[in-house]
Amino acid sequence: MLINNMNKTQKIHKKVNLGVLFVIPALIYMLVFVGYPIISNFILSFQDVTVQTINQPDKPFIGFDNYIKFLGDPVLVRAIINTFLFTVACIVFQFVLGFALALFFNQKFTLAKPIRGLLIIPWMIPITISSLIFKFMFTSNVGIINEMLKAIGLAPIDWLLQPRIAMIALIVANIWIGIPFNMILLSAGLTTIPKTLYESASIDGANGAQSFFKITLPMLKPTIGSVLILGIIYTFKVFDLVLVMTNGGPVNSTQVLSTYSYKLSFSLFKYSEGATVANILFVILFFISLIYIKLFFISDTMDKR
Amino acid sequence: MKKILILTLIAAFMISMLFLGTSCKEEVAEEEVAEEEEVAEEEEEVAEEEVAEEKTDIKIWYYWETLMHQESLDTVISSFNASQDGITVSADYIPFADFKKQLSIGVAAEELPDLVIIDNPDHAAYAAMGIFADLTAELSSWPDLEQYYDGPLGSLTIEGKIYGIPFGSNCLALYYNEDMLESAGSEVPTNWDELKDVAEKTTTNGVVGFGISSLPNEEGTFGFLPWLWSTGATSFEINSEGGIKALTLFKDLIESGGMSKEVINWTQGDVMNQFISGNLAMMVNGPWQVPTMRSEAPDLNWNVALIPKDEVYASDLGGENFAIINNENVSKSLEFLKYAVSVEQVTEYIDKFGYIASRKDVAETQYTDDPIMQKFIEQMQYALARGPHAKWPEISNAISNAFNEVITGVADPETAAANAQTTIDSILE
Repeated sequence: MLINNMNKTQKIHKKVNLGVLFVIPALIYMLVFVGYPIISNFILSFQDVTVQTINQPDKPFIGFDNYIKFLGDPVLVRAIINTFLFTVACIVFQFVLGFALALFFNQKFTLAKPIRGLLIIPWMIPITISSLIFKFMFTSNVGIINEMLKAIGLAPIDWLLQPRIAMIALIVANIWIGIPFNMILLSAGLTTIPKTLYESASIDGANGAQSFFKITLPMLKPTIGSVLILGIIYTFKVFDLVLVMTNGGPVNSTQVLSTYSYKLSFSLFKYSEGATVANILFVILFFISLIYIKLFFISDTMDKR
Repeated sequence: MKKILILTLIAAFMISMLFLGTSCKEEVAEEEVAEEEEVAEEEEEVAEEEVAEEKTDIKIWYYWETLMHQESLDTVISSFNASQDGITVSADYIPFADFKKQLSIGVAAEELPDLVIIDNPDHAAYAAMGIFADLTAELSSWPDLEQYYDGPLGSLTIEGKIYGIPFGSNCLALYYNEDMLESAGSEVPTNWDELKDVAEKTTTNGVVGFGISSLPNEEGTFGFLPWLWSTGATSFEINSEGGIKALTLFKDLIESGGMSKEVINWTQGDVMNQFISGNLAMMVNGPWQVPTMRSEAPDLNWNVALIPKDEVYASDLGGENFAIINNENVSKSLEFLKYAVSVEQVTEYIDKFGYIASRKDVAETQYTDDPIMQKFIEQMQYALARGPHAKWPEISNAISNAFNEVITGVADPETAAANAQTTIDSILE
C-alpha cells in the first residue's frame, strides 16, 4: 500500500498536477454547499411542491410546467423588466458618480484621504438600516424629501405609493448605497497608475482630457471591468432593499426576481414556483458571469502568452 | 530541492488521507451496524424506563411577543406541570414573521414541536399539509365542545373534521376620536355614506379622517374583508356587485382625501400610532390595541363603535388556535390542551391577552364593567372566519392585490375585481 502510494505520488508529481490535490478541499466544499443546493433547486422547479405536497414522500414530477406557466405571467415579466431597469440605472449612476469622486479625491489636497474614508460609510451601514431610513425619508406625509419639496414651493410626491415613482425611489436609494463601492475600487485602481506617466504626458503637452482618455482609462481597464461586473451581479440580485422599502409593491410594481421568488415560496407557499423564478435569476446571472470570465480571465492569459 | 521534498511529503500525506478515508468508511459501516444493535438495546431500556417513570416532554411553539402574553402562557404551563407527573410541557417563542417559515421548514426536516398556537386563517393550510392531528373522535365525547362559538370553531373545521381547539378570539371595530367628531359636528357613522361624509368632514390640516391597515398581505386582507362581507358577498366572490361596491368605497375615501394612500404601507400598529398621535379621526383596529392606547394616550377621548355597515354588520375573526402535531404524543398533548382550555384556566389568562374567550361560558363573564371591550364582544357576533381553505394565503393575496390596485389608482374597482376573481377562480378549481 505504501509503495503504491509512493508510486502514485511520483506519477502525479511528474505530471506537475499537484495543484489538483490542493483544489480538492475547495472542490468538495463547492460541491456540497453550492452545487447541491443549485441542483436541488432545479429538481424542485420540475416538481409541484406546495403546502399540500411538501409532506408527501413522492413529490409529483411535472417537468417544465412551472416554466411554461410563467411564460405569460405579467408579474414575472414586470419583475424581469424591473430587475434589468434597476441594474442598468443603478450601475450607470453609481459608476459615473463613483468614478468622478475617485478622481476628485485622488487629487492631493488637505483632508482628501479622511473624507474619502468617511464616504465609505454608506457601504458599511447594513442595507436593512439604509433602506429603513430611505423609507422614512420618502414617506408622503412627513418624509424629509417631501418637506424639502414643499419648502421650495413644489408639490409633494407620493414616492412609495405610485407604481412608477416607487421604482425611482428604490434606484435613488441604491445609487447612494453603491457609490462608495465604485469609488473605493476605482481609487485603488488609480493609485496603481505610475505618476511618471502623467508627468511625461504633460511635458509632451497633453491636456487634462487627453491624459484622462489616453492614460487613466486604458490603465484602469481591468479595474473598471471588475467593478462593473461585480456591481452588476450585486445589483441584479438585490433583495433586502426592495423587501424593506416597498416589499415589491405597490401592486407588484417594484417586484424584482429575488423578491418575487421569496414571495412565492414563503408568503404563498408555492415552493416549486418560487424555485422556478430563482432559477431564472440564476440562469441570467450565470450568463453574466460567463461573460465576465470570458472577457477578463481569457484576455489575461492571452496577454501573458 | 527542499521545496519539492516538502510538496511530495504533503501530497503523500493527502493521498494517504484519502485512502484512510475509504478504509474509515468501511469501519464506520461496521460500527454503524454495531451501533444499531446498541440503539435497539437502548430503546428497549428506554421503553422499560418509560413504564417506570412515564415522563413525556411536550413542546409548544407560539409567536406572542408581548411579555404579558408570554408570562400568562408560562403560568398555565407551570401549573399543568405541577398538577401531574407524567408530562413536562415547555414552550418556544418564534417570531411571527418567521413562524410559518419555521413550520414549513420543520415539516420538510421532520422537526416539529408537539403543539402549536397558530394564527387562525393559516390553520387550514397546515391541516392540509397533514401535520395536524384530526381530533374529531377524541373531542366528540368532550362536553365542553358545545360551549365554543361557531366562528372560531369554523376556522379549524375542515370538511367536518376538527383539527384543534380555539385559543381565543378578537375582531375589528371602529375607533373614533370623540373630540374630532364633535368639532366637525358629526355623529358616529353607522353606514358607508355616513362614513364617507364623516371622513371628509374630519379631514383637516394635519388630520386625515379615516385609516385602516391595507398592507398587501394577510394583515391588509383582514382589514378589507369586513367591508366585502358587509355587502353580503363571500370572500370568494370579489367580482360581484358587493365586491365592486366595497372596492369603490375605498376608491371614494381616497379620492375625497378622507383616507391617505399611505395606508398601503401601514401595519395595524402604525394605524394605532397615527390615531393616538392625533393624525387620524377614525380607524379600524382590534381590541389588543386597547391596553397600549390606555397607557400611551390616557388623555385622548376615544370610543369604539361597530364597523359601519352596508347590508349587514360584519367583522372578521382574528385570534389563535391550538393545534396538535400528528406524532406519537397526540394523546399526551391533548391532555395538556384540555387542561389549558378549561374554564378555570381560560378565565385566568384571557383578559390579560385583551382577547375574547372562544367559549361562551367564559366570554359571558368577561369585561362586564368595560364598555369598550363590551363593544368588541358585541361586534364579535358579526365576526366571520377567513377561509377556511388550504390555499387561503393565495386567495388572500389576490384580494389584497385588488384593493391595493384601487387605492394606488392602478386599476378601477371593476378591473381590479375582475382580475382578482380570475385568480381566485383558478385557485378554487
